[in-house]
Amino acid sequence: MKKLQSNRRKALVINYLSFILFLSIFYLVKAGVFPLIYLSTNLLPLSGIVFSFHTAFGKSHLWKLTHSAYKDLDERETELVFKATTISYSIFTIICLVMIYVFNFIGFGPIDVVLAAFLLYLAHSLPAAIIAWNQKVIIETE
Amino acid sequence: MKSRKIFNRIAVLRRERNVSRKELADSIGVNFQTIGYLEREEYNPSLDLAFKLSEYFNLPVEMIFSTQPMKPLSVELKNLKGGNDEKIAE
Repeated sequence: MKKLQSNRRKALVINYLSFILFLSIFYLVKAGVFPLIYLSTNLLPLSGIVFSFHTAFGKSHLWKLTHSAYKDLDERETELVFKATTISYSIFTIICLVMIYVFNFIGFGPIDVVLAAFLLYLAHSLPAAIIAWNQKVIIETE
Repeated sequence: MKSRKIFNRIAVLRRERNVSRKELADSIGVNFQTIGYLEREEYNPSLDLAFKLSEYFNLPVEMIFSTQPMKPLSVELKNLKGGNDEKIAE
């Protein structure tokens, strides 16, 4: 069970690190630090995002859990999702503010489509990530 | 607010009646994983869920849930019977 939880946590770390790497390469190319050809190296973090997504959110059904309507959840699941959403809201707000500040500070101006897409993904994935990180992995028999 | 731990006999009652987690979960309208959480005493049910379980097992709520670690059902029934006998003797 501990191994399963550790695998899930590793997948989460890989998922978000891949995203950071993707954004770093993209903006370094945009700023002219790297030539345009370097954009092709973004395939590596992109595949990291896709594969780790399955382990972190897909296999555990956590994505489905955090995206279900409240009427489809029982009281324990509702409580779990509510707590995770509350925590993720605080984290997301801080990340958003830091991103906007950094973007203005380095002179990129207002946030663009790529960063907006990342923030959208972050907003949707954070509750599931918080549950995946904290919850013990227990394989229940029916 | 940190709530105290609620002990229960769901696992014993379920096994005694030969009911699967899935069957019990479907009857009371929860996910079968929630039954696992309840059995491991990792989740305190709401009053509504506690009453649903009590109706399902046809037992009073206090026979299924307690704030104290629960004695085996046989011991509790024996104590209950002993108490009743004493009352009758009086």
